[in-house]
Amino acid sequence: MSLKPGPDVDAREVQWSLLLVIALLGVLGVIITWFTAPLERLLGESAYALEAAIHGVLAGVLMVAVTIGLFQAARLFSGHPPGIRELQVGSAVTAMLTLLTIIAGNRIYIPYRASGGPRTYFLEHAPEVHKIFFEFKEFMALFALPLAVCAAYLLWRYGEAAMQRRDLRTTIAALLLLLWFYFLVAFGLGAAITKLKPV
Amino acid sequence: MTTREYPTGPAAAALIAVGVGLVALAISHLLAELATPLKEAIHAIGKAWMPGAAGIGPYAGKETIALVAWLGTWLILHLLWKRRAISVTTGAIVCLVLLGVATTLLWPPVTEHLVELVR
Repeated sequence: MSLKPGPDVDAREVQWSLLLVIALLGVLGVIITWFTAPLERLLGESAYALEAAIHGVLAGVLMVAVTIGLFQAARLFSGHPPGIRELQVGSAVTAMLTLLTIIAGNRIYIPYRASGGPRTYFLEHAPEVHKIFFEFKEFMALFALPLAVCAAYLLWRYGEAAMQRRDLRTTIAALLLLLWFYFLVAFGLGAAITKLKPV
Repeated sequence: MTTREYPTGPAAAALIAVGVGLVALAISHLLAELATPLKEAIHAIGKAWMPGAAGIGPYAGKETIALVAWLGTWLILHLLWKRRAISVTTGAIVCLVLLGVATTLLWPPVTEHLVELVR
């Protein structure tokens, strides 16, 4: 008996089945988390807990998106690119997520800077944490937006033609690589700050 | 569909605009660190349109300056080069160099050193 799907298996049907399984597992994960850790404990007690959670979740999803982009970049570099549709949709989603994460970051910056907030604490106890961890992180996070938008623009404007030209292919791969790098710096430093002093 | 139908000028324009926007971000940060009136002026730019900018401080103005420089440069270069064949590699190299300059200028020890030099 062969384990390979036969020619009568519709690829689209397989794709939808897979999506259904992923969705069910996602719902199951949320339910388990919900019942084992009450929402107020998950979010924390801060008045800005929801804003912080939204920013954190968006950043977490974006980390996944840029890592997928990194694998796509490797395939572009190697000359065996994924399908153009996959690249176009992925880059558009990543650009949108980047914008939303920055907007959510702006919202959470307000309590960070507020009197008695983490900024005050760091400036009093460890000013270098604010300077390097926070300020540098905030700027590096902004680098991600134009890089993500530029990669998406090149993929949507040139489409399949971009895959046939080495210069465009390599440039898009470099943009995706840099996007991953700058977001990784922002993500890592952001996570460190949250551990040191959450809002 | 070939790139003959889609000239490479717009690709170069998009790439160079990324670098210009990020260097503008770095310069606005340096200016804000240089003098309080400049910091207040940059903050005012952010407050002019961005919701919550009063709480974000001059960062809102720096974001605005970077956004305007990025999208403005992109628009201008796009209009100039939309039918021209400009080297994508050159565009990418310029973008990378500007990205490196912006990252260096924003690294806190470098920023502080430069601000002390100018003062």
